[in-house]
Amino acid sequence: MSRNRDPRSGQPRKAKTKSQNVSHQSDTLHSPHPRVMEVILHLRQIINEFILQLESRHEQEDLEQEEQQHRQNIRNQEAILIHLMCEVVNLLHSGASSSLELQLPRLSLVSKGGAGSGQQAQSSREPDQLSHQLSDSKTAFISCYLSNRGIDFSALYQSNLQDFIAYKGDKYHEDKNTLGFINFGLSENKHCIDLLTERLSQSDMNYIDDDLLQYPDWKGHAFLREEVARFLTYYCKAPDLLDPGNVVVLNSSLSVFLTLTMVLCDPGDAFLIPTPLYSGFTLTSHLYSKVELIHIHLQSKMDTQTFQLIMDKLEKALLEAKFKGEKVRGLVLCNPNNSLGNIDTLDSLKEYLEFAKRHNLHVIIDETYMLSEFRASIPFHSVLNMKSLPDPNRTHVIWGTSKSFGISGFCFGTLYTHNKEVVSAVGAFGFLHGIAGLTQHKLCRLLQDGEWIDNVYLPTNRSRMQVAHRYITNKLKTMKVRFLSRGSGLYIWVNLKEYLDPCTFEEEQLFYRRFLDNKLLLAPGKAYMCKEPGWFRLTFTDKPFRLKVAMQRFSEALTHKKQNWIEKQLENALVESVSSPSTRRSSSSSSSSSSPSSSLSFSSSSFVNVDTSHF
Amino acid sequence: MATLPKKESRAPNTCLGLDTNYGDGLEREHSRKPDHKRPEHYGVGDPTTPFSSDGSHLSSRGRISKWFWDLAEEGYRTYHMDEYDEDKNPNLSQSDMLQVKPSLLQYPDWRGHLFLREEVARFLSFYCRSPAPLKPENVVVLNGCASLFSALATVLCEVGEAFLIPAPYYGAITQHVYLYGNVQLVCVYLDSEVTGLDTRPFQLTVEKLEVALQGANAEGVKVKGLILINPQNPLGDIYSPGELREYLEFAKRHELHVVVDEVYMLSVFEESLGYHSVLSLERLPDPQRTHVMWATSKDFGMSGLRFGTLYTENRDVATAVASLCRYHGLSGLVQHQVAQLLQDRDWINQVYLPENHARLKAAHAYVSGELRALGIPFLSRGAGFFIWVDLRKYLPKATFEEERLLWRRFLDKKVLLSFGKAFECKEPGWFRLVFSDKAHRLRLGMQRIRKVLTGTLRVAEDPPSSRTQEPRGQHI
Repeated sequence: MSRNRDPRSGQPRKAKTKSQNVSHQSDTLHSPHPRVMEVILHLRQIINEFILQLESRHEQEDLEQEEQQHRQNIRNQEAILIHLMCEVVNLLHSGASSSLELQLPRLSLVSKGGAGSGQQAQSSREPDQLSHQLSDSKTAFISCYLSNRGIDFSALYQSNLQDFIAYKGDKYHEDKNTLGFINFGLSENKHCIDLLTERLSQSDMNYIDDDLLQYPDWKGHAFLREEVARFLTYYCKAPDLLDPGNVVVLNSSLSVFLTLTMVLCDPGDAFLIPTPLYSGFTLTSHLYSKVELIHIHLQSKMDTQTFQLIMDKLEKALLEAKFKGEKVRGLVLCNPNNSLGNIDTLDSLKEYLEFAKRHNLHVIIDETYMLSEFRASIPFHSVLNMKSLPDPNRTHVIWGTSKSFGISGFCFGTLYTHNKEVVSAVGAFGFLHGIAGLTQHKLCRLLQDGEWIDNVYLPTNRSRMQVAHRYITNKLKTMKVRFLSRGSGLYIWVNLKEYLDPCTFEEEQLFYRRFLDNKLLLAPGKAYMCKEPGWFRLTFTDKPFRLKVAMQRFSEALTHKKQNWIEKQLENALVESVSSPSTRRSSSSSSSSSSPSSSLSFSSSSFVNVDTSHF
Repeated sequence: MATLPKKESRAPNTCLGLDTNYGDGLEREHSRKPDHKRPEHYGVGDPTTPFSSDGSHLSSRGRISKWFWDLAEEGYRTYHMDEYDEDKNPNLSQSDMLQVKPSLLQYPDWRGHLFLREEVARFLSFYCRSPAPLKPENVVVLNGCASLFSALATVLCEVGEAFLIPAPYYGAITQHVYLYGNVQLVCVYLDSEVTGLDTRPFQLTVEKLEVALQGANAEGVKVKGLILINPQNPLGDIYSPGELREYLEFAKRHELHVVVDEVYMLSVFEESLGYHSVLSLERLPDPQRTHVMWATSKDFGMSGLRFGTLYTENRDVATAVASLCRYHGLSGLVQHQVAQLLQDRDWINQVYLPENHARLKAAHAYVSGELRALGIPFLSRGAGFFIWVDLRKYLPKATFEEERLLWRRFLDKKVLLSFGKAFECKEPGWFRLVFSDKAHRLRLGMQRIRKVLTGTLRVAEDPPSSRTQEPRGQHI
């Protein structure tokens, strides 16, 4: 995993070279890879150091602490050696495969190389490496029929959706399959599916006429675009009526995001985006549009607010990107935020938009989670609510029904932008992302029924969300688990750092697997490019009976993990006491203080609601 | 369909005339001159020409897509009759269609709901007369064949690689494979003249495929596959099992993928033709490289339903296409409706297909009768919705400009035909006439055509001065 990193300095390479590395693999197949020489030189150096280290062993054997340090160093170097060797083989392989059409399985590190091998290997694991995920998962998927990009897509698809498919095949059912999977990771609002099913079964939904069966206007049927404009005017509290001519209707919010990146960027152009971010953005920009996402890492420990995007960070990220020669075309925002559940205030929104205007940046703002806020004290403001947009021609709003109405299977997303050129260009992609006329009719009826939405759907949805949210957060509190949740979206952003020893993304992945063993799917923070290991996204919008079972399993997994940790500690202590009984006392006390997991103290004081101001 | 804008002006550059008689580079240089009228056997499309930048906020690919859009806007309303027959509306409003289940409203398997894939497999097994039952796991469901072309091009080819396609062809494919995939088409030009061993006009032969493939290779264009449309659009032709096998063997020899578009599969109204789906072949030469597509847009006249399906035995390809399905998905409710529709074999066999074929046959008989009466030559073998009409004698000069002017005159008389250039036909003067419309509208249409053509003969003798206008249109 340390292939994108200089093993000696431990400094991460620049984001740019990372992605270039990967593309090089496929682009420059015919010439000998320059990286090969570089890596082989490294390899030689590390081997030298390694041998030196082994030789020096005898001289240092006397001191216990130094001995430990010594072992650690050797393990580190071993890990690096394995990494480098794998890389050489992979590079040679990629060169060979082009000319011979010979597809050998690539070497992969899986988790062996780095597991527990100390700080260097551990710090080399970075969250923002889709490329890594790719090169790792590629090992499992090689095909002589597909293009390189086809292989990329399949590998990603399989690595990402494997567990989802397992879940699909073995879903929990209260009577029929009590041992089945419960999905805490999937972003679905299952609370009101009964209401939607009922509403969509009503007779007004089933109108059919010729127009609906013919090729539609690729921007969407006029009747639907008019309805969308009315709907957004009302629910976004737009100061003036929104114009149906600014609406394009496609088959999901993600398709809208895709087409926007396609028409605003050329391959290699970049967008700024705060992390944690919606994983769909990463996939989309990688799969089809080849747009680079420059991550602005938000962190949990900030002076002002946790995971809050601040202007300094924006300015700095832009400056750095420009300095590196990136062509930054815009900024992607998600409000209410997917994964964090944050809501941006009107003032901060305005600041972001002003920032974008100053630098001639487009702003793609995904408001798919609007109407999912469940706490009146934290109101949601759409950008369409503003009196005047700082730069209307560069502000593009995305909305869809998948979250607001919990009907992801309906496949509907919409764009609202004042920029007519963007409307036409996105519309041109309509034939690849079209929705059935019959579906458009149903959507129109649904959006039209303001009475049902205001008096039945929204109040019910809100109260059910509140109940579920309270249930889960109370459970988490009794388990003394930290979390973030600001009253919107379908998620609670859970901090399980304390359970990771050491606190690495590898451990996060292992913990994810442990949940999976307990038939519980959670979404690990790495999937959202979170910079800090240990965060998980927990979707709480499910039926109470499933939530109850899910929380039991969750709690079991934590308990199990805790026990493991204690056992491990005991074991360590035992080993130490056997090997050197004389230093027993001092070593046991030092192990608890010097252990990297000293934060792993399950004291009652460890529960901190990171963002109490909003509770 | 949209031809790309540069095509007309850049034709001499992009369609290099590789003449079998003059194989060397020098002669090829000559053939680039527009005046040289030498037969072209293939041509590499180049959709990457810079587009005029009227969209200041857009990236260059954004401008290309906007160009496609503007083009569509202009000719849009014109092609309804092509796609839809209002009387043949299947009964989607019957009660079995109206089921709403929670699972239909949630995230599906991206390949499509299993119940639908099972139904598609059964349906295709039956109507394609496959020797063994087809398997649901080889089925991927998307929101239309355009998406399917796009996805297949993307996962089978690298940027800049190409598919062979016999021309004339359904021109929209150019756009389908280009927008996301950046894949080009290499035209295998077919001739109206029956030469050599050919038995009919515009006949595709392995020899022509070989020439085109070699030509593309010589130009450094990497060809990854071959697209076959069967029944053919716009020729209304079908390939015999023997021909199909030859093409597939050719592809196998060169390790090419074959994408077979069978969207007109159930629109073969001349029983005697004996249509054979590629899935009916006893043994496919290269099953791992053979990918079949079908949709409801033509055979059920429901382009607005947005349903298309891929059948391939290649799991890698199925998975790769499925990985793009989250951008090309269709609503669970529609999936339910399509499954119900495909299941209703009684209605399809006893009501829909006989009625559809009878109407197509009657309309075809009427239009072909009229054309004969006008003394207009045409091609049509009893499949699809169209007649490929030879209006070359109405062009004062055999140029695509004259072809467009004639098209414009039809438009002025409120009758819309698609000109051959839109199908990359290399001979100016061919038009596609869609006859799948109501009798009274057909009558009116034919009257207008008659009016234009009788007027044209006069015009041809005395050309008008105002010929600068560049008409553009969408032909789907």
